Amino acid sequence: MRTPLLLTTSSLLFYLLLIGPFAGYLQNRPFIERIGYVPSFKVLKLVAADHKEVTASFLVMKVLMYFGGLIELTQNEVAVAPDYPAMSRLIHNAVELDPYNMDAYYFAQAILSWDVGRVDLANKLLDHGMQYRTWDWQLPYFAGFNHAYFLKDYATASRYYQRAGELSGFDLYKNLAGRYMQEAGRTELAIRYLSTLEQGEKNLAIKKSYQLRLIAFQEVQRIEVARDEYQKKFGRLPASIDQLVQEGLLTPPVDPYGGNFYLQPDGKVATTSKFAFATKEGSEPAQK
Amino acid sequence: MTSMISVTLKGIFRDRVFQGILMTALIFLLIPTVSLLSMRQVTELSITLALSLNSLIFLLLSVFLGGTMLWKDIERRYSYGVLGLPMTRSSYLAGKFAGVALFFLLTAIVLGAATFVVVFFASSLYPPERPVQWEIIALCLFFDVMKYVLLVAIAFLFSTLSTSFFLPVFGTIAIFLAGGATQQVYDYIHSTAGDTLTPLVKQAASGLYYLLPNFSAFDLKVNAIYGLSTSFSGLLLTIGYFLLYTTFILSLAALIFSRREMR
Amino acid sequence: MSAISIENLTKTYRGKRGAKVDALKELTLEIEAGEVFGFLGPNGAGKSTAIKTLMGLISPTSGSATILGKDITTPDARRSVGFLPENPSFYDYLSAEEYLVFVGKTFAMSGPELKEKTASVLNRLDLWEARKRPMRSYSKGMVQRVGIAQVLVHDPDVYILDEPMSGLDPLGRTLVKEIIKELRERGKTVFFSTHITADVELICDRVGILVAGALQTVRPVQEILAAGVVGYQVKAKDIPQELFSYYNADSQAEWLSVPKADLGPVMARLQAAGSTVELVEPQRKDLEAFFLDIVAHSQA
Repeated sequence: MRTPLLLTTSSLLFYLLLIGPFAGYLQNRPFIERIGYVPSFKVLKLVAADHKEVTASFLVMKVLMYFGGLIELTQNEVAVAPDYPAMSRLIHNAVELDPYNMDAYYFAQAILSWDVGRVDLANKLLDHGMQYRTWDWQLPYFAGFNHAYFLKDYATASRYYQRAGELSGFDLYKNLAGRYMQEAGRTELAIRYLSTLEQGEKNLAIKKSYQLRLIAFQEVQRIEVARDEYQKKFGRLPASIDQLVQEGLLTPPVDPYGGNFYLQPDGKVATTSKFAFATKEGSEPAQK
Repeated sequence: MTSMISVTLKGIFRDRVFQGILMTALIFLLIPTVSLLSMRQVTELSITLALSLNSLIFLLLSVFLGGTMLWKDIERRYSYGVLGLPMTRSSYLAGKFAGVALFFLLTAIVLGAATFVVVFFASSLYPPERPVQWEIIALCLFFDVMKYVLLVAIAFLFSTLSTSFFLPVFGTIAIFLAGGATQQVYDYIHSTAGDTLTPLVKQAASGLYYLLPNFSAFDLKVNAIYGLSTSFSGLLLTIGYFLLYTTFILSLAALIFSRREMR
Repeated sequence: MSAISIENLTKTYRGKRGAKVDALKELTLEIEAGEVFGFLGPNGAGKSTAIKTLMGLISPTSGSATILGKDITTPDARRSVGFLPENPSFYDYLSAEEYLVFVGKTFAMSGPELKEKTASVLNRLDLWEARKRPMRSYSKGMVQRVGIAQVLVHDPDVYILDEPMSGLDPLGRTLVKEIIKELRERGKTVFFSTHITADVELICDRVGILVAGALQTVRPVQEILAAGVVGYQVKAKDIPQELFSYYNADSQAEWLSVPKADLGPVMARLQAAGSTVELVEPQRKDLEAFFLDIVAHSQA
């Protein structure tokens, strides 16, 4: 009678001593460990049986939680290199399991095109999604933006915007598109796109990422306006952003991604952060 | 046989299986909250979660209720008394099976109601872009029940083959996984990717495809979640497949059970 | 027509490594309608095997049997049989009442008849108070009594009972014996197995002794009891001295111990001497001794 009692109390005591460091260890594990190993979709498809859709949602959630954690850490100014290939792999697995999962396409568009710089992958996924979600105007809308903004393929972009307009029943996208189908409208196009998405977003992590990007582009727009004013005034392009600040045309811009804005020789505004958090060295998004 | 059915049903209810289901069904309460994690498809996620929870409950029921139904009767020696009555072994088996099937149907009605409430609630929080197709959700539930009733028949077949409960329980799980995968394997070997396989492997895989139950036909989750239309003739064929396959498995089980020695 | 007719019934089990076990060897037996037949044998003799074969629970390796003329391989043979399995166990989530109703319905009994019969049987077996409680709360003896009750509820003509008295307290045993006697009075056939000779002695018309799967003997109980008489105790007044000194074994006054062969002459001499004979009591080997003899013989 005494031995079990002793065992119960002592094990409970040691458990209480252990649980703190244990939880701490789990919390501080590297992100790649937290995102975890996910078997290939071929294996998942077999094991998931009639729970493929849930498994797909689970994978997307996993990526989203991971991404949410990253955004939070960046806020606290902890430099963490996100593991984009792992995220991309999970998203690909998700759409293999459930080709209809909109969250997966949406997230892929949000991350792959901007943060990873793999617009080709994002477009591939969007095309994949359009085969299934034949009723959905958002997919062609994203694809249209990608082609216009990133690839400057205005003809293809118009086709996608056209389709988005037909599916949504709004001519808005068609009309809007026309205005931005040129180099000069790029920044405004991006701001428009981002603020539309930002308003409709309820997931805080994603919303935060839109807000950051929106701030960055608003900064770019400010610089562009100052640049154009400088050109009007002096008849030539400014040499640097500092010049604009010295002339009193601009208050110093801040890159929310931690980079520095600069002017390219042709006068285009760029930033050392490339509008993304630092990527893991040498990491490439997984190829499908 | 009707008295066997009612005795079986009483047994299931008095063993508190239904209470167990209701406890598990409390998870339904979490679904609307979890669905809010979705960025673009809150309603769709709530349907996904609810349907998957239903499937999970039915899977557990099929394996642990269906798989231990006969084993328990024999292990606890109830079968001596019952089979000593002027009842054929076949009608004993059929009565037990019908009892479980009926219980599944009742459970489906309750869980279906829970599903509808949860999805309705989630869709009122964030109205989906496309209206929820309630009739497809109901259809999906109905076919899910059919699938798991078929699985119970397989569990019964395993129970007649073995005196322990290991074969019924693990055999049923194995068949469940295999039955969900056969269509994929079949599609794979008949695609260009399958050309590298030897003819023998192809034939063996095709043979298994025709032998094993095809559970993917009963899976209408994608249709229910995204409101995709279903093929009427395809569903009719699936119902026919269910009836024939279940009858075949059950009669085989009855054949084996009739020869079984009740030592 | 015999109530139960068994012909060359054989059951061979395949044991481990292909070893064959003869559980029942060419059992041939006729049970007449209206008799109470005791199936006696030591544990493991094959009594249960024989009964399970009769009930279609196991199939015979060879041979055949009929109950009221119906082949045992058909469920029809069980239509007029009440069967009590050895150490019975019934759906323990049901109450005794529910189980009896289930059994009655299986025998196609009608509602009012079933209700009345269930009530009377529950009362008879002293289960009335517990009838609504699930059987998982019953004691072993109560379950055994439910077993008897479910045999009686549909009032069959033939009763096949495997160890009906096991697990019962003395009161219960007496009750079951009474019930079997009543069944005999009503012309029913009872075939029951036991390993307790006293049960057979009191209630059976005939007894069959099974040892190691083989039927050793079938005899009327009365005949065995008569054949077992070895002598008599005679109580008389005014016994002549020479008779008393010769036959009185234990010096008890007025009592003589007379060997079987001497009974006639002793009675004649007592009469001649004018003694009054008050009591003649047979002294016999009981059934148990007979049974032990048979078992010992068969094993020799």
